[in-house]
Amino acid sequence: MKKFLGFIVAACLLAPVAAQALDTAVGSIKMVRGTSAIMRDMAAVETKNGTRIFRNDILKTGSDGSMSIVFRDDTLLALGPNSEFAIKEFLFSPAEGKLSIVTRLLRGTAVCVTGIIGKLSPQSVRFETPVANIGVRGTRFAVKVENPAE
Amino acid sequence: MKHIEMILLCLAVLLCLTACCKDRNLVVLLPEPGGTTGQILVSNQGGSQLLQEPNMATTILSAQSAPKKPEPMGEQEIQETFGEALVALPSPPIHFILYFKTDTTEITNESRKLLAKVLPAIADHESIDVSVVGHTDRFGTRAYNYQLALERALLVQKMLLALGINPQFIEVTSHGEDNPLIQTADEVREPRNRRVEVVVR
Repeated sequence: MKKFLGFIVAACLLAPVAAQALDTAVGSIKMVRGTSAIMRDMAAVETKNGTRIFRNDILKTGSDGSMSIVFRDDTLLALGPNSEFAIKEFLFSPAEGKLSIVTRLLRGTAVCVTGIIGKLSPQSVRFETPVANIGVRGTRFAVKVENPAE
Repeated sequence: MKHIEMILLCLAVLLCLTACCKDRNLVVLLPEPGGTTGQILVSNQGGSQLLQEPNMATTILSAQSAPKKPEPMGEQEIQETFGEALVALPSPPIHFILYFKTDTTEITNESRKLLAKVLPAIADHESIDVSVVGHTDRFGTRAYNYQLALERALLVQKMLLALGINPQFIEVTSHGEDNPLIQTADEVREPRNRRVEVVVR
């Protein structure tokens, strides 16, 4: 029994480290249509079903593009054409009291359904735009941000 | 009168898209499939508006001017503005909830049958992003529960790997006692919370 417990303890000590590397992904792309890209560290990243997304990613769609994203807390997001969307913060570790999803629609259209973070801590969900911030209490909504004059 | 104003507003918005003129931004609250609706608070330097009825929308002219009083947004206008995004909205992830036989490292027979459905669901859903998340009830210390939930999630991960799941798809975490299915007071035993969830995105 002690050996078994010892093994479990060792596995537990190692597992969080292994889990951590994967934990940094905040979600993944489900679908991409037309011209779409993820900008990460100033470079475009290949974008298709299953591509992981991370904090600080900027999701972009062209005039014929749209994108479907699922976050790790079940938040659903869809971007319409000519859109730009930034992931500013995503923390989903309820056991450590870390719950936060902060995103920003810079331009274009988005439809969003909030997930578990919204259920556990509604005040931790913030959807920003250049003209107003949206506080969300577990719900489904759509946002349009006009293209700024170039 | 209001209806016509709304249409003119939408036309103005559509025109703005091509003319790239002044900012015209809007937020609309949508109903959820179950028929419920949440609440959203839209705020900036100028003020704030609360949306709490389905299809109510507020427009915001600038960061300094308060969001406008909410007005209903017609279905057609919603389609015209958000059509492509609405079509692109992904389906919610599938949650498989697995339970263990008391004080063992074995899952129940019912859960074993459910586990067998995970790989077909992953194929069906075209998923390459799966989480295995351990949970406990609030009986015991938070630290102990975090570890116990993690142990059990790792066991389920092993079972999924044995069934042939691609290891690259899986992420394993523990939510300890902090994400219950059923809310309870501290130190209350609740078997329905002692679970491992396999989430297929």
